[in-house]
Amino acid sequence: MFSQLFGLEAQRKRLLKKAPEGALRDFLSVPFPELDTPINKTPILAVDFETTGLNIKKDKILSVGFISMENNEILLSTAYHRVIYLKEDLTEENVIIHQIMDSAREQGDSLEAVISELLKALAGKVMLVHYARIEKNFLERACKKLYGVAPVFPIIDTLVVAKNRLDKQGSYKPAELRLSNLRDSHKLPAHYAHNALNDALATAEVLMAEVELIRCDYPLPLKKLLI
Amino acid sequence: MDPELKEIYDFIGAIPPFDQLPSEELERLIPKVTIRYLRTGADLCPEGGLEEKIYLVRKGALSLLSVNGQLIEKFGESDIYAFCEQNEADRLVTQVTEDSLLYTLPLTTTERLKEHYPAVNSFFDKSASQRLNQIVKEKSKEAIINSTLMDSTIAELFNEPATTIESDQSISDAAKKMTALNHSALLVMEGSKLVGIVTDKDLRKRCLATGLSPDRPVTSIMTAEPKCVTINHNAFDTLMLMHQKGFHHLPVIRNGAVAGMITVTDLMHQESENSSHLTGLVHKAKTVEELIEASKLLPQIQVKLTRLGASAEHLGKSVSAITTAITCRLIELAEEKLGPAPVPYLWVAAGSHARQEQSSHSDQDNGLIISDKMKPEDDAWFKALAIFVTDGLNSCGYVYCPGEVMATNPKWRQPVSVWRSYFDSWVETPEPMALMYSSIFFDLFAVYGESAFLTEIRISTLNKTRKSTLFLALLSRNALKLAPPLGFFRDFVLESSGDHKDTLDLKHNGIAPIVDLARIYALSEGIYSVNTINRLRAAAGTPSLSKEASEELIDALEFLGTLRIEHQAKQIKNNQQPDNYLSPNALSKLEREHLKDAFKVIRSMQKVIQSRYN
Repeated sequence: MFSQLFGLEAQRKRLLKKAPEGALRDFLSVPFPELDTPINKTPILAVDFETTGLNIKKDKILSVGFISMENNEILLSTAYHRVIYLKEDLTEENVIIHQIMDSAREQGDSLEAVISELLKALAGKVMLVHYARIEKNFLERACKKLYGVAPVFPIIDTLVVAKNRLDKQGSYKPAELRLSNLRDSHKLPAHYAHNALNDALATAEVLMAEVELIRCDYPLPLKKLLI
Repeated sequence: MDPELKEIYDFIGAIPPFDQLPSEELERLIPKVTIRYLRTGADLCPEGGLEEKIYLVRKGALSLLSVNGQLIEKFGESDIYAFCEQNEADRLVTQVTEDSLLYTLPLTTTERLKEHYPAVNSFFDKSASQRLNQIVKEKSKEAIINSTLMDSTIAELFNEPATTIESDQSISDAAKKMTALNHSALLVMEGSKLVGIVTDKDLRKRCLATGLSPDRPVTSIMTAEPKCVTINHNAFDTLMLMHQKGFHHLPVIRNGAVAGMITVTDLMHQESENSSHLTGLVHKAKTVEELIEASKLLPQIQVKLTRLGASAEHLGKSVSAITTAITCRLIELAEEKLGPAPVPYLWVAAGSHARQEQSSHSDQDNGLIISDKMKPEDDAWFKALAIFVTDGLNSCGYVYCPGEVMATNPKWRQPVSVWRSYFDSWVETPEPMALMYSSIFFDLFAVYGESAFLTEIRISTLNKTRKSTLFLALLSRNALKLAPPLGFFRDFVLESSGDHKDTLDLKHNGIAPIVDLARIYALSEGIYSVNTINRLRAAAGTPSLSKEASEELIDALEFLGTLRIEHQAKQIKNNQQPDNYLSPNALSKLEREHLKDAFKVIRSMQKVIQSRYN
C-alpha cells in the first residue's frame, strides 16, 4: 500500500506535466494528503455517480453527487448534485431506477462542467466511494475524453473497508456489503437510495461508523484505509 | 437547496422550534448542518469542545450527567440538546449512550432566528420557568379560541324573545322597562322594523351625563341601525366581533326578522350557567334519587367547562362547589329524616374537595367535628347522619374512601376537643402515621354547620406548626418522596433513577408534589388557606417562598392541571373512567418539553426545601 501511494504521488507529478491547462491540471497540481494523516484529519470527498449501466465503454454518467468530510464531520454546506445533459433519450429502465426524467436531463449541465467542478472539489482530498470500480473507471474515462489524460487519485472504498472487517469476523453473505445493508447493520437511518448525492452522503456516514469499529491504539492513519 | 437533502430537511423541519420556521429559513439553515457519528461511550466534545452547538439526535441516544454521575437528562431521536458553555463548577458531562448519528448546528446560527421567531427564542434562551409562564399565558389566550364557541352558532346561545321598546316611547319608559326586566339593553322598534338599540350605558352617557330630559324619545339616545348577527352566525366569530367593536349586545336576526339578543356575557359565561343549572337541580332535589340523577350531569359539565377553556383552577372550584352543594343537600335530607341534631356540629371535607381542586367524582374524604357539649348517647344520631351522607355521596359517584377517612369512622366523628388533641399530637409526635394524617387533615373545608369549630382548631394548630421545626422537617421529608421524573426519552417517562416507565402519572408525578410543597409553606408561615394556588400566592415573598418561585409553581400547577383536565375530558367523552395516567405517545413534542420544564421547577423547589430542613 505504501509503495502504491508513493506510486500515486509520483504518478500525480508525472501526469501533471502531461495534463493540458485547465481543471485536470489544477487538480493534479495539489498534493494528495499524506499517508500518515490521521483519518479524522484527512479531507475526504464522498462521491457517487449514477450511470446508464456498468459498461464504461458504452454507458454514460447520468448524475454526480458529492459531499465533503472534515474533522470527522460531514458538511452539508458542501453538498453538490448535478444531472448531466445527454443527447440520447434515456431508456425506461434508467428513468425508473434513477428517477431522472428526460425533462431534467435536457436542463442538465455538460459533462465537462460537472467533471471540472468535481475535480476542483476533489483537489487535495481523498475520494470516498462505495464499490470504487464505477466512479474510478467512469471518472478516468471522462477525463481521458475531456482532457486526453486519465488522472490518479487516492480512494477509500467503504465496501473494501467493511469487507476487511467482516473477513476477520468469519462468514458473511456478500449481500451484507451492500450500502443499504451496511447502513442497517450500523443502525443508521434508511436513506433514499439511487440518488447520487444521497448515496454519497450515505457512504460518508458508513465510513464514520466503520472507522469507529477499527481498533487502533494511535490515531488511525489514512494509509490503513486506502485501496 | 438540493432536493436531495429533503430527508434531512423534513427531519429538522418537524422538530420544534424549527417547525415554526418558514421554508426559506430552513433552506438557509440546512447547509449549516454538519453530521457526526459517535459510538457508545464516546465523549461528545473530546478536545477543546468549547464551541457552543446544538445537537439534533437523528439516531441513537445521549445522556447528560452531573459531575457526580447523576443522570440529568436523556436525549433520543428528534431531541435537541443545546450545548452551552458552562461554569467549571457545574460542568456537565455528555455521554453517548447508544451509537449516535447527530446533526449539529453552531449555536450562533440561532442568534438571527431568535430575533425574528419567538418560538426559537424561547426554546434556546429562556429558562424552564420562563417558558412555562409563556405557555400558561398562551393557553389562557387560547382558552377562548379552543372553546366550543368555535363549533356553536348563535342559535344555541341567544336570548329569545327580543326585549323591545317602541320608538315613540320616552327615555324614562326605556329605563323603567330595563329595570323591570333586569335587562341591560332594549331593541328599539318601529312596528316590526328594528331601528336601534339602547343600553344602560346610553342611559348613563347620553342622558344622565348630558342632562338630557328623560321625557325625550328613546330614539334620541339609541344607537341607530345597529350591527346585527344572523342566527346561524358562528358564536366564536360573534364574540370576536363584539370584542373588536366594543359591543356588549347584538340583535339576532332570524329569517330577516328580529329574534332576540346576544350578549358578551351569554357567550363568555356559558360555563357558569351550566354549573348553576346543576346546583339548581341539586338544591331542588327532594330525594336522594333525584340527587343521584343530578350528579350524573357532573362529568358532562366537567367536559363542557374544559371545552370552553376553563383553567384547571376554575374547573376545580366549580366541581368542588357542586360537590359541596350535593353534600349539603344530603345533610339537609338526613336532618329531615333524623330530626334536628342534638348538639351543633360541623361536616368537614378533606383532600381535593377541601382544597377546591376536585375533578368529577373523586373519592370522598370527610369527617364530623361535634360540639364538646355532646353526650355519649348523642353519637347514635351523628353515626346515622354519617351513614346517610356517605352512602348518598357514594351513590352520587363519590366512592367510599379506601382509607376510611370518613365520618362513619368513629375516629373521625369526634368533639372539638378530641380533634384538637389529634392535631396537637400529630405536630408534637410526628411519627409516620401522624405525618400521613397531617397531610390529609391540614386541608379541611367547612361544608355544613358550625364553621367556627374548624376555624378555632386551625388557628391554634397553625400557631404550633409554625414553630415546630421537627414537624416541618419530617413533613418535608415525606413530601419529597414524590419526585417528578426527569422528562421523556423516546416514548417513555424517564425517572431520575434512569428507569423508563410507559405512563406518566400526572397526579403523583407533578400535581401532588406541588400540593405538598404548598402545604408545607402554609404550615411554616401560618397561612390559613387550603387551596394550593391561594397558599402559594399567600406564601409569595415570605421566607419560605420567593415571589418568583411562587409564580413558577403556580404556572407549573396550571400547566399540569390543564393537561389533566383535557385528558379527563377526552376520557369522559369516550365513556372511560377519568384518571391521571397519560401515555407519552399522546403528548406532542412541545407538550413534553413543557412538562419537562414543569418538572424542573418542581425539582428545584424540592431541593430548596430539602436543604432548608436537612
